[in-house]
Amino acid sequence: MHTGLLASLAAFITGLIESLLGHGFAAQLIMVLLEIIAIFAVISLAVIIQVYMERRICGFIQDRLGPNRVGPFGLLQTVADMIKLMSKEDIVPEKANRLLWGMTPMLLFIPAALVYAVFPFDEGAIFADIGIGVFFVMAIMSQGVLMFLIGGYASEDKYSFMGAMRAVAQMLSSEIPIAFSILAVVMVTGSLRMSDIVSAQTNVWFVCVQPLAFIIFIIAMLMETNRTPFDLVEGEAEIIAGPFTEYSGMRWALFFLAEYANLLAAAILTVTLFLGGWQGPFLPGIIWFIIKVLIVIFIFMWIRWTFPRTRIDQMMALSWKVLLPLALFNIMATGIGIYIYKWIY
Amino acid sequence: MQGKGLLIGLSVTLRHFFGRKETVQYPEEKLPMSDLFRGGRLVLNEKKCIGCKLCAMSCPNAALALTVEVDDQKKRHMKKYVHKSGRCLYCNFCVEACPTKAISWDKNYENACYYKEDLTYDAVARNKEGINNEQ
Repeated sequence: MHTGLLASLAAFITGLIESLLGHGFAAQLIMVLLEIIAIFAVISLAVIIQVYMERRICGFIQDRLGPNRVGPFGLLQTVADMIKLMSKEDIVPEKANRLLWGMTPMLLFIPAALVYAVFPFDEGAIFADIGIGVFFVMAIMSQGVLMFLIGGYASEDKYSFMGAMRAVAQMLSSEIPIAFSILAVVMVTGSLRMSDIVSAQTNVWFVCVQPLAFIIFIIAMLMETNRTPFDLVEGEAEIIAGPFTEYSGMRWALFFLAEYANLLAAAILTVTLFLGGWQGPFLPGIIWFIIKVLIVIFIFMWIRWTFPRTRIDQMMALSWKVLLPLALFNIMATGIGIYIYKWIY
Repeated sequence: MQGKGLLIGLSVTLRHFFGRKETVQYPEEKLPMSDLFRGGRLVLNEKKCIGCKLCAMSCPNAALALTVEVDDQKKRHMKKYVHKSGRCLYCNFCVEACPTKAISWDKNYENACYYKEDLTYDAVARNKEGINNEQ
């Protein structure tokens, strides 16, 4: 079987461990642990790069330079910030429900990290190529909002609670357009499996087949990841920082980490569903994958630093009155298109 | 067309993304001060100075303490030209009063110092040390 760079590396490591420990349970356990470590390493590294990118892109768009002092080109700025956050005092609100309040930042990270299990990073490099991949991503991504709700409730603070309520409202508004826009892709592919969706885009990317679904997906994904035009959950001008209002130091950093892990997941999902995944000429799959993901992240950041925040009613109206009917229309059009295609051939 | 404004906005930000950056990288780069800028230390051109003390007389705050000596050819020279910049208003009256345009500002804006005594300096002594010689 033809495999990509990452899959070959994984096979090499598996071979190495099995030669040392045999084909037993121990070797499997170590491989699983290595995979989990790999996911966390990828997320941590990606978060550091994304925070740097965000600040530099923000600076460039505002005719500034952004962080450029710590390390070469300011690359170590995020590391310095992380050290600062870790050394800060841990302030717990007096009336907070300490158990739930303390658990929330850690729990939030679980759904953010779990979705990476089904993303195809390269040919054959996918942690769990399950038959309901897209469905799994949809189900897990929407779990994040539960932690926002718990955190907002446990903080015993009106701003946190309002932020939590907004998070729920926003999640409900964004999940449905996302689901229906993905459904159009699934209809064309005929499979929920991530690797099937990628291999179906060998000749033509789904962004060309499903441009409307792509636009709906991008807009709804901005809502899902709480980024600016739709960052109502943490809208500073209105509700301070929403569910994170009472969090500081390392706990806040974990919220931040989960936010950027979600952004990366959104970019990977966009690339996998609409931009041909790891496929591309000449270069190895993983390189194409990284290039595409970085471009999509750039587009998300570009949008963030261009548009002002919408009101909550505008966001809901856009989601329910515009995106959802459009997505339904797109599904109908796709169904008719598939029917005509089958009738011709 | 619906959404045209969004695309215009995106094009504007993209233009600024690749555009020139306004940041002055301060310790390495410094902004040039305008001709009207009054500040920093006084630079005395001893060749032009005729020792008339008009600058000290025009000073509303008595920030200038001058010592003049007369040489063999009865020419007046500045022996000491002490500027107590802690008292200075930076009103520019001294520079305007000078009949030969012998004094000027060095337009330096980094005058913060730890001790009050450092605010007072002698422009003649600075000339001898070779600071601002070319001016």
